[in-house]
Amino acid sequence: MELFFLSLLLIFSGGALALILQRFFNPMKASSSLFIAVGCLLGLIHAGTWMARAGEAAATVYSIEYLNAFTLAFRIDGLSAFFLIAIHLVSMLAAVYSFHYMDHAEKPLATAVNYFFFSLLVGSMALVVAADNMITFMLAWEIMSLSSFFLVIHNPDAAENRRAAYLYFVFSHVGAMFIFAAFGVMYAYSGVFDFGSVGAMPDAAKILALVFAFIGFGSKAGVFPFHVWLPHAHPAAPSHISAVMSGVMIKTGIYGILRMYGLIGFHGPVFGEIVLAAGIVSGILGVVYALGQHDLKRLLAYSSVENIGIILIGIGIGMIGVAADRPMMAMLGFAGGLLHVLNHAIFKSLLFLGAGGVLQKTGIRTMDALGGLLKNMKVTGTTFLVGSLAVSGLPPLNGFVGEFFIYIGGFSGATPGGRPFISCMAAIVGLAIIGGLALACFTKVMGVVFQGEPRSEAAKDVGEAGAAMRLPMIVLAGACLVIGLFPTGFVLMAVEGVSALGLGYDTGELGTFIQITGNITRGGAVFFIVFLTILAMRKVLYRDKTVSRGGTWGCGFTRPTPRMQYTASSYSGSILEFFRPVAPLHETHPPIRGRFPDRTHYHSHVDDIAEKGMTPGVVRPVLFLFDKLRWIQHGDIHLYIGYILLAIVALLFFV
Amino acid sequence: MNQPADAILSLVLLSILFSFGSSRLPSLIKAVAFQGIVVSLVPLFVGHELTAGGVIFTQVTLLIRGILIPLCIYMAIKKVRIRREVEPIVGYHASMLAGLALIVAAIAFSRKFDLPGIGQYALLLPTAIALLVAGMFLLMARRNAIAMVLGYITMENGIYLVGATFSVRAQHIVEFGILLDVLAGVMIMAVILQNIKQTLDDVDTALLRTLKE
Amino acid sequence: MIKPILFWLLAMLTAPFFSAVILKVKAFFGGKKGPPILINYYTLFKLFQKGSVYSHSTTFIFKMGPMISLGAAVTALLFLPIAGQPPMFSWHGDVILVLYLLGLGRFFTIAAAMDTASPFEGMGAAREAYFPIICEATLFLTLILFFMLSGELRLSAYFFGGEPLHLWRAAGAPLFFVVIALFIVLLTENTRVPVDDPATHLELTMIHEVMVLDHSGPDLGMIELGSYIKLFFYSTIVTRLIWPYDMGNAFVDGALFAAAMLAVYGVVGITESVMARYRMDKVPKFVLTSFALVFFATIITLEFMK
Repeated sequence: MELFFLSLLLIFSGGALALILQRFFNPMKASSSLFIAVGCLLGLIHAGTWMARAGEAAATVYSIEYLNAFTLAFRIDGLSAFFLIAIHLVSMLAAVYSFHYMDHAEKPLATAVNYFFFSLLVGSMALVVAADNMITFMLAWEIMSLSSFFLVIHNPDAAENRRAAYLYFVFSHVGAMFIFAAFGVMYAYSGVFDFGSVGAMPDAAKILALVFAFIGFGSKAGVFPFHVWLPHAHPAAPSHISAVMSGVMIKTGIYGILRMYGLIGFHGPVFGEIVLAAGIVSGILGVVYALGQHDLKRLLAYSSVENIGIILIGIGIGMIGVAADRPMMAMLGFAGGLLHVLNHAIFKSLLFLGAGGVLQKTGIRTMDALGGLLKNMKVTGTTFLVGSLAVSGLPPLNGFVGEFFIYIGGFSGATPGGRPFISCMAAIVGLAIIGGLALACFTKVMGVVFQGEPRSEAAKDVGEAGAAMRLPMIVLAGACLVIGLFPTGFVLMAVEGVSALGLGYDTGELGTFIQITGNITRGGAVFFIVFLTILAMRKVLYRDKTVSRGGTWGCGFTRPTPRMQYTASSYSGSILEFFRPVAPLHETHPPIRGRFPDRTHYHSHVDDIAEKGMTPGVVRPVLFLFDKLRWIQHGDIHLYIGYILLAIVALLFFV
Repeated sequence: MNQPADAILSLVLLSILFSFGSSRLPSLIKAVAFQGIVVSLVPLFVGHELTAGGVIFTQVTLLIRGILIPLCIYMAIKKVRIRREVEPIVGYHASMLAGLALIVAAIAFSRKFDLPGIGQYALLLPTAIALLVAGMFLLMARRNAIAMVLGYITMENGIYLVGATFSVRAQHIVEFGILLDVLAGVMIMAVILQNIKQTLDDVDTALLRTLKE
Repeated sequence: MIKPILFWLLAMLTAPFFSAVILKVKAFFGGKKGPPILINYYTLFKLFQKGSVYSHSTTFIFKMGPMISLGAAVTALLFLPIAGQPPMFSWHGDVILVLYLLGLGRFFTIAAAMDTASPFEGMGAAREAYFPIICEATLFLTLILFFMLSGELRLSAYFFGGEPLHLWRAAGAPLFFVVIALFIVLLTENTRVPVDDPATHLELTMIHEVMVLDHSGPDLGMIELGSYIKLFFYSTIVTRLIWPYDMGNAFVDGALFAAAMLAVYGVVGITESVMARYRMDKVPKFVLTSFALVFFATIITLEFMK
């Protein structure tokens, strides 16, 4: 535990240093990112060693009195340690990345403030997953929400950034309100703030608390339809912040859902089905909206919604497995979901870092203005390719492993008979569709951004990203490959995380898991052997052959321009057509008229039905309601004092 | 799938999917004709002993339901040369998925009933319910008048199956009466259709609104 | 261990031959003599002897494309019981790995096409990304049905020896719908008529052929070989379902299997001869039919298994 707090101290002092050293731009960046990175490394070592000796030691507990009124309690068990690993790994690499990425020397204060809040965000995330009572949890949770709010509003000059930050603020606080409500329900029955002593509640209260918690944490995690803030906040924040927010911060929502599930111990099928349904809807709609985006970072944000959906599908299968008393299905579902938490943290931060590199070098976020970057940005492009393969869930990369476990969990529930079968069938087909759509989505990103020819001047002759930016990307791409090929250790970590849920299943069936992971390794090995054989064959076939270069075959057309390339919009057009009812596509295209037509243009835009429905569905009713309450506010100071008196009297009566 | 009746009933269910997926009138008519034929075959395999009269009734039903009515409609669309597109309000993909959903719902719904005597025919009641709802769906989701007529016929097929489910003895006689009514209805429809066509130059039911005072 | 390797090699060697059967059938329907039955081997030899021309626009991904798509197809074949013989590898969940490996091959085929900056290849790539989404849903639904019937999640539990017969016994007539659905998937995944016309002359209307426009020499040869093997993979699945019997003798089984394969390829050829290619916006409905059929078969089977 000392190591944990030492790492926090280093991280926070990194943030404080940035504020002190803001006059010296480069030393400030260097020292701050170094402190944060070393702090995270220590945290990683702590969580890693905890995992390594997880079998022997029970959960680590630590508590202090705070303001003589509350106890701040911390507890690290398998679930916390699992999330700590993801948090510290991604934050460490993001800190390293920030050194070359934050290159606006003319704005030293903004940069220093960014480092300060970044350190707060990292530390508070670690505190959230380590918290052991409601007060500690909410304290850390609010610090996390507020620090990330200030990170989103990093560049407040642009109106859209301010709007994004505002939206995020509203969502995170309405979410927090629901979490408070869930805690309130729990407190009403237990009478203490400790997490440890909840559980003795009637079933109706349990499900109420769980649903409140699901809405609250779901709005942080970006579950459809509470995801509306995500695609706005991510493009507004600097890319390494997006990486941390999308990679790990939204996972604290998943952590919250899992923790509440473990604490409350409600094992009926209903909640599992809610989670699963939310997962399938988020997964499919997330990737459909991702396909419809033109902005690279918005696309990645929607893809996060999709992956949260996959994680929820895993967790939902786990919960349904618990309800149906099928330990194997439950373990596989939870383990797959948790593993996908780590995997998504890795590949999504990799993709955001890559997008940051593109953004820094070209200044363009619109995909249709990019192209051909792979030729000049070899490292960024290749690591982005690895990330794209991983996010599409393809073997032999890590995205496949988590999905594989979820599939197997789903299949083990797909034996005929009743509710689990229907749920599992929906989950499996949903995952298959998500997989296909994700492949379409990320071939689009790769093809349009990194391949082909540059579509604008700004995308031509760009340089490679700085060394401090390349290193994290290489490490993350390596991690994708390592987990994809040798998942055993990571799966066991996820299993350790699941056992912290207190489901009462012994991990005696570990053999099955090790066998499955061994099969994944063998499958990867088989594929690599085949691939290397083909590579050798290719070398032989090309020996002493003339290999020349020419233009791309233009089907007889002699004056091709890069503008003729297939664009992101056209690539995804027909798929979006299929999903038109849930993803309305709006096109404006003035027709071409006359012999000498004017210049024309084409603009397309995909509506997010949750965002579209938010104004008439939620905002207006709420405004209407509050309008009706306006009579309370009339500007008379005497009556206001009367209100205060009334409140005090009421409190005296009730408390 | 040991009962031949169930194999036939699954073909009926399949015909619902085909009718939902058809974008042109001739193929929709074919789907409904196929449906009529297989639906008429069901009584031959459903439990009660067959009398000679029953067999004849079944054959006549098949003739009317599977051949005569579809032929009538086919001739009608030939004669008035209307548009072949069924003009969907709900798209084909959505219709197909809706078809699957309604089959699932019908199966789930039919478990609520516990009817004596049809226990061994797992699909009989679900198919009947699915046909009724499918007919309603075609009525609601297709703009073309002929497609709507075909929706009615699908519903009628469903009613026939419900009849086969509930009544044991007198089903043929009652059913035969209904069927003759339907045949008459179809013929009247063919005549009216010609008149609508002459007056309005189209058989889009939305245009009937123009007749309002 | 020898027998699986032998059959695996044999499958890869004969895959081009079977593909040529389709050409022969089509030629027969067209009243032509058609190319020699070994045409695909000649083509492969010709391509392997040539050099290559690469576009200025391309990167290393362009060269990876053919290798990975061929590698994925070859690896997939390692898990498939050919002619009812045991496959080289078989474990719980291998089907998922195989389907996703084929997805990996598709990713690189698309990426290689996008690498050329050609508008036509982008068009083909978009279609290649679109249609298999529904196919994948169909295949996974089929998998649920097979899992329900056999309780196992491996290819060899469905297609090894007399196992397909068990599937038929357990499911009965609904499996017939599955066969049709899988045939539709076969046509779509291997971009045959009525989804794609491999012999058309206009780039705008192609899917697969347009994506490989810029490949040449051995690279193109590898792509061709990969597509023959992929077709072989799907045909084997369909063949084992329509010829589920196991005679107990590897040679007899092999011969009968080859005959059944010829029939399946022949049906593909007949389909191509008697049907026209669908308009591109009609294709999803065609593919969705396969999904509907399997879904339907699953529900009915579920109803009967109670």
